[in-house]
Amino acid sequence: MRKLSSLGIHLFLIIASVVSLFPFVWMLIGMTNTSSDIVKGKFSFGSMLQSNVTKLLDMTNLGAAFWNSTLIAIIGTIGTLVLSSMAGYGFEIYRSKGKDRLFGLLMLSMMMPFAAVMIPLFRMFSNMGMLNTPTAVILPSITTAFMIFFFMQNTKSFPRELLQAGRVDGLGEWRLFAQVYVPTMKPTYAAAAIITFMNYWNSFLWPLIALQTQDKKTLPLIVSSLASSYNPDYGIIMVAIVITTLPTVLIFFLLQKQFVQGMLGSVK
Amino acid sequence: MGSKWNKSSLMGWQFVLLPSALILLFSFYPMLQSLLLSFQSGKGTVYQYAGLANYSRLFSDPMFKQAVLNTLLYLVVQVPVMLMLGLVIAYFLNMPKLRFKGFYRTAIFLPCVTSLVSYAVLFKSIFAVDGILNRMLMSIRVIQEPIAWLMDPVWAKVVIIAAITWRWTGYNMIFYLSAMQNIDPSVYEAASIDGASKTRQFFSITVPMLKPIILFTAIISTNGTLQLFDEVVNITNGGPGNSTMTISQYIYNLSFVYTPNFGYAATVSYAIVVMVAVLAFLQLKVGGEKQ
Amino acid sequence: MKKWLSMLLLVSMTASLLAACGSSNTAEKGSNKEESAGTKKVVAWAWDPSFNGAALKIAEDLYKKEHPDFQLEIIDMAKTDLEQKLNTNLAAGVKDGLPDIILVNDPNIQKYVTAYPGTFADFKEKVDFTQFSPYKVDALRIDDKIYGVPFDIGVTGMFYRVDYLEEAGYKAEDLENITWDEYIEIGKVVKEKTGKYMATINPNDEALTSILLQSAGSWYITPDNKGNFVDNPAMTETLRVYKAIADSGIAKPVTGWSEFVGSFNTGDVATVVSGVWQIASIMDAQDQSGKWRVAPIPRLNVEGGVNASNEGGSSWFVLEGSANKDLAIDFLASTMGSSTEFYERFLTENGGVGSFIPAFSSEVYNQKPEFFGGQAIYSDFTRWSTEVPGISLGMYTQEAKDALKNELPNILNGADLTQSLANIQKHFEQQVQ
Repeated sequence: MRKLSSLGIHLFLIIASVVSLFPFVWMLIGMTNTSSDIVKGKFSFGSMLQSNVTKLLDMTNLGAAFWNSTLIAIIGTIGTLVLSSMAGYGFEIYRSKGKDRLFGLLMLSMMMPFAAVMIPLFRMFSNMGMLNTPTAVILPSITTAFMIFFFMQNTKSFPRELLQAGRVDGLGEWRLFAQVYVPTMKPTYAAAAIITFMNYWNSFLWPLIALQTQDKKTLPLIVSSLASSYNPDYGIIMVAIVITTLPTVLIFFLLQKQFVQGMLGSVK
Repeated sequence: MGSKWNKSSLMGWQFVLLPSALILLFSFYPMLQSLLLSFQSGKGTVYQYAGLANYSRLFSDPMFKQAVLNTLLYLVVQVPVMLMLGLVIAYFLNMPKLRFKGFYRTAIFLPCVTSLVSYAVLFKSIFAVDGILNRMLMSIRVIQEPIAWLMDPVWAKVVIIAAITWRWTGYNMIFYLSAMQNIDPSVYEAASIDGASKTRQFFSITVPMLKPIILFTAIISTNGTLQLFDEVVNITNGGPGNSTMTISQYIYNLSFVYTPNFGYAATVSYAIVVMVAVLAFLQLKVGGEKQ
Repeated sequence: MKKWLSMLLLVSMTASLLAACGSSNTAEKGSNKEESAGTKKVVAWAWDPSFNGAALKIAEDLYKKEHPDFQLEIIDMAKTDLEQKLNTNLAAGVKDGLPDIILVNDPNIQKYVTAYPGTFADFKEKVDFTQFSPYKVDALRIDDKIYGVPFDIGVTGMFYRVDYLEEAGYKAEDLENITWDEYIEIGKVVKEKTGKYMATINPNDEALTSILLQSAGSWYITPDNKGNFVDNPAMTETLRVYKAIADSGIAKPVTGWSEFVGSFNTGDVATVVSGVWQIASIMDAQDQSGKWRVAPIPRLNVEGGVNASNEGGSSWFVLEGSANKDLAIDFLASTMGSSTEFYERFLTENGGVGSFIPAFSSEVYNQKPEFFGGQAIYSDFTRWSTEVPGISLGMYTQEAKDALKNELPNILNGADLTQSLANIQKHFEQQVQ
């Protein structure tokens, strides 16, 4: 009986994995084929990889775009984690009516479609003279109600006795946060880091508007302009997509251990 | 105890102030500007005050009505399926004795990092009239004639729902997995000793313990679905007819595809805000913030 | 006190991190500006590096011969991205960051000029517009001003597989000067004899209806921007033909660009009715060399219907408020506005066809590519381009197309056409109030 149910679980997970992985396999195959083979749906490896890579490097300034994307995603993620976890901690551990109301208000900010606030936001950054900088891309989403909410909800299961113990030891509020809360919440930070990194890395609409010169562009902007040509070369596009996807996968690999080890283990 | 709490609740503000100020500056200030814009009408930079005209236009606008109906359908069908799936997968992957979980975890997470371009090209080719899916279904004799998935208003919606579920299930799984680390494994051990089945454990331990996170993902997904844009634009571009168009796509069209009417676009945006806010409020009530 | 100190530290750390990457870039930007003031640098936005971006590079090359210190910076982005960025900049009234030159898709011309008055420069006195195909100039003329330099055209032709049509028993002259009903009849024979589809059909894409309408000198909207669905014989006939093609079974359904290109790259269809720029995609299938020819498109059986039309095309605009306005105008006027050499090179290097009539008689335009069995395709296309009826694209083309798209499934399901057209008209009026 036990065996059977475990077999069922594996079968279910295998199907889910195959469905999930299929596009990646296709992407990797596409990378090695010509555009017209991809369009025809050829599902076997070809020999065009080198030529596709060379053409892509020729056509775009991929190195600069990679660097811009990396800078924005890393600084943005660190900033978001610090600020959002601070707020999530403050809102949940020190709940009060006033804070609940303020948080309710902040929640409204994530419900507004970005296209509707883009123009005023653009005007604002222009007035601050910050257009065409990574700062302009990072700042508007450096704290989001979304991430604050995530930290709040996770903090609900945070063992508050730890804080009491810390207070007895004479730790101040900031040290309690930094030395007791942060290490305990590692799995939450890891999940938040993956999601935030991904959001920054893939963000499109705002970088498109805020960045103005070719040398400041991020990777998604490059991919988008490749895909819209009159005669799109899907082989080149596939290479660009694989390069764009890899860093997020890497971050996931690096951080996933954090939330499978178990929180209780990491406290000790 | 009482005085200590008051003191510490005052203290809490130092953690909250700076992040809140940033959100107020970068989100609320533009939101107020777009609220003002929603009372104006015109094209591009040529505007005049129009009172509530934009708001009354909403109620007689067939495109808007269609977009709202489509979006609500996605919401009602897709969000529960996706969250349930994400939760079940996370539960399996959290079983201490399961093998190959690293592989499964990575594989199932991957779709949400895929570039939309590749995902759109791929989904279109899978669901093409002579695409893989039709060929498979025909070879096992489920269907006689190929189905024109993306040209039929009903099937096109099914494809969109499948696409969103494919892309975002792994994303929600991450939230659940990380939250499951907060459950002490000894709770499960005790339950096993008491003879509770895995299914029982799932419903009587995992689900209640994860309630705050389930609530979180429900609100986030509701918000995400009501603002759904990328999938639809890239896979069906709202078609056939306008049968898959979403509210966000309509806002985008009003601002950047049609002769720009930013005033009306702002009005439609506020319609989304109101809908999400009401739904989030309901979810918070039902999801029991009582504890 | 300590906690405030550590908070201050934290905040200042974040701030300095941000400032660090911000300031280094502002400094860089500053130096960029100085440079542009010193050396005459013009910035242009375009959307396809291997087509219109490449055209700018050719123009730059030519212009530099006379003006060695001229500099051009091309910023590539996707077409929809470009339109979105332009709208955002103009609506926000933010001048820095806008380029000097932008590429505008022809159906957007009137929309931009009306929504953002005073934003674009008048070219009327700068370029001799009699040298261009009249229908391109018509699209640029608004209130006695001409807002740009005509660029590429989308004059249409019917690309066909000579092998499939011969197998079905048709010769080249059987495809000249035909109507759409004759086209459908040929398609049925082709389907029967070769098993191949005659065409593709995509109910989500308005390319075919646009081609049909313009071939009869009509459009979705009237020149004064009213819906043109009711009491318009060209519209009625267009939709009748569209439905007939869909019903006849000669068209393979496709749902997107890659599927469309795939349909002829894999040899599934016998004809492709499309703009001249489609040549590049057709020639991608090198194994089909020698098997393709081009004929004029079929015509609508209405008054004014001709065997020529247009699909797509764009023009170059200069921003009135740009710092290098005069230089940008002079650059465009003396290259794309008057240089035969530019159009020769554009065709040779990128397969682009312009609307500059003097270039049509050049040798390059009379080449006979092997791929098309030695047919002088470019000279044919340019001859057809002079027959394309001139129309006003108006400012609500996209709204009208969407109104039509909404009703199209009903029309294809056999709904009463007159009633459907009335619905579309109503829907359109609702949308542009």
